[in-house]
Amino acid sequence: MEDYKFLFKVVLIGNAGVGKTCLVRRFTQGMFPPGQGATIGVDFLIKTVEVDGDKVKLQIWDTAGQERFRSITQSYYRSAHALVLVYDISSQPTFDCLPDWLREIEQYASPKVLRAVVGNKIDRDDREIPTHIGEEFARRNDMYFIETSAKEADNVEKLFTEIAHRLTQEARASRYSTSGPAAPDLSQSPSKSDNPCCKMLQ
Amino acid sequence: MWTTLRRSISVSAVQNARVSETRRPFAILEDSDVTFLQRLLGNRNVVTDTDDLQKHNNDWLNVCQGKSRLALYPSSTNEVSEILRYCNSRKLAVVPQGGNTGLVGGSVPVFDEIVLSTHKLNRIHEVAELTGVAVVDSGVVLEKLDQHIAPMGFAVPLDLPSKGSCQIGGAISTNAGGVRLIKYGSLHGSVLGLEAVLADGTVLHGLNKMRKDNTGVDLKQLFIGSEGILGVITQAAWLLAPRAAFNSVAIVGCDSFENVLKVYKNARGDLSEFLSALEMFDVDSLRCTEENLVMKNPLGEYFPFYVLIEVQGNNHGFVEEALHSFVEKVLDSGMISDGVAASDGKGIHDLWQCRERISESIRLDGYVFKYDMSVPLEKYLDLAKLLKPRIDGLAKRICVFGHMGDSNVHLNITAEEYSDELLALIEPFVYEQTVEMGGSISAEHGIGLLKKKYLPLQRDVQWLKTMRSLKHSLDSNGILNPYKVI
Repeated sequence: MEDYKFLFKVVLIGNAGVGKTCLVRRFTQGMFPPGQGATIGVDFLIKTVEVDGDKVKLQIWDTAGQERFRSITQSYYRSAHALVLVYDISSQPTFDCLPDWLREIEQYASPKVLRAVVGNKIDRDDREIPTHIGEEFARRNDMYFIETSAKEADNVEKLFTEIAHRLTQEARASRYSTSGPAAPDLSQSPSKSDNPCCKMLQ
Repeated sequence: MWTTLRRSISVSAVQNARVSETRRPFAILEDSDVTFLQRLLGNRNVVTDTDDLQKHNNDWLNVCQGKSRLALYPSSTNEVSEILRYCNSRKLAVVPQGGNTGLVGGSVPVFDEIVLSTHKLNRIHEVAELTGVAVVDSGVVLEKLDQHIAPMGFAVPLDLPSKGSCQIGGAISTNAGGVRLIKYGSLHGSVLGLEAVLADGTVLHGLNKMRKDNTGVDLKQLFIGSEGILGVITQAAWLLAPRAAFNSVAIVGCDSFENVLKVYKNARGDLSEFLSALEMFDVDSLRCTEENLVMKNPLGEYFPFYVLIEVQGNNHGFVEEALHSFVEKVLDSGMISDGVAASDGKGIHDLWQCRERISESIRLDGYVFKYDMSVPLEKYLDLAKLLKPRIDGLAKRICVFGHMGDSNVHLNITAEEYSDELLALIEPFVYEQTVEMGGSISAEHGIGLLKKKYLPLQRDVQWLKTMRSLKHSLDSNGILNPYKVI
């Protein structure tokens, strides 16, 4: 089993069709899945990145955008370290829904969670949301902002690397401060000897 | 008309690579027999038309083609008793038949046996709202009962792909398993009582409705899984399960079988009381559904193995949370690198389709050699591995999937068409290997006609002798489902 220093849970949310799955696939597999259908439920992926020499695992939750009715949502946000709110720069309605998504985040997620807003599909020439409008929204809500193209692999790596970087810094800070909150409580990487599932198959 | 028939039947023998049977000296149906039975059941419950008989003479897998000239539709225990009393006295052979969804040729006539269909034994007599004990006729379709009891908060403790057509009597007679056995246990536990009719027409009244009943030899157990050779089940008292209001399903991809086993172990441990299914399928099965049914890989990448895990419960939060925590755990510890989970109706349905439609997709390859074994879990893939070099080039695909939670593997070998050559490379090899590794040559499909010759691999002489003496003591003329099992 590979070793890692930190493990962070990153959840992607946003309307259906904004390209959440494409962003995740581009990042985890380096490909742009053609003809991607709607995501079922939630897709869980793992990707290890390096931050200043430390291995950091990102546990990515790619949620189904069309699942607007959910009787329970806590599970999605529970112990999330970062929430990535995605919209499509060529679709005004996907941007207009951002406040609804924010309300959901505020209701269920920890206030300490790192929040990012991502305008995807900058490869398209029918843009409806100018960059500064997205930026303004992010600034007002104290969120990290970036525009991406999963198709052209623009800024996708940067988005996730930035998240990993920020979370790692936060984790390190809280690790060395005695009074700080026990932020990412996942800093202990499991080792072979004490992992019960490794033991059982010896 | 019966004279020509008599001549053709009297020389009957079935001889092929899978089945080798000669007609036993049962009586041959006479006009007077038909008249008697018509008077007993009414003309509309006696089928003699060749076209109408087609569905009773044929197996859905088309491995068996009977030549029965008569199918009967009794609608009461008394009628079943009268039919058998008559047939026994005339030494006419009878094959009991439910939904005819079996996979081993156990429910179709081999020669001219009379088909005793339980189709019209279809009443739901009572369902105890407090305890969930249902008393039903053997011909009640599984799904129909499930729909009937759903508003009362109960579920049938058995789930099969054929639930829309299989009947409870057939399910009990074959001790059917299915995807929820891991949660509900086998029918030997949930069937509390049975009413059955012996070959001579004797009715055994054993509709016990108590969960606990230790009163001498538990005769009902003999009828569970004995495939209609000891008697015809007419009614059952069945302990239903509380219906779970919420499900969550996940499919995870594993890059090694070692990780599949870890996922299994962790799922059983972590999800224990919620766990309602634990299935696996290999990438060849998945590709078959993609190629033949235009289905999609539920994950973004291909993995050699996929595990489907379902949890059920009555608190949505607990159920979903339990499954998500589990997926996170196996993801973080490296047992999987991709997984998908759903808790909404459509998502659950879509994920189940990945597993449930494998059988259907496999059949579209042409011909399928189907095997249903129990094997020690750590050897789950061994049969496929051993077979591969033997049949390379001849087979189109080897697909491994099944109820992994119960150590039950479905091994399917597909080819463009049936060939004796391929069969000879698979059988008896695959059965010998199964027995060798301590498994069972039939986990849930039964022995029927197709596996009969391999039963001695599994059961020793004394065991078989005892089975035969039991059969003889309950059916001395051997009229019930002849040529099957032993």
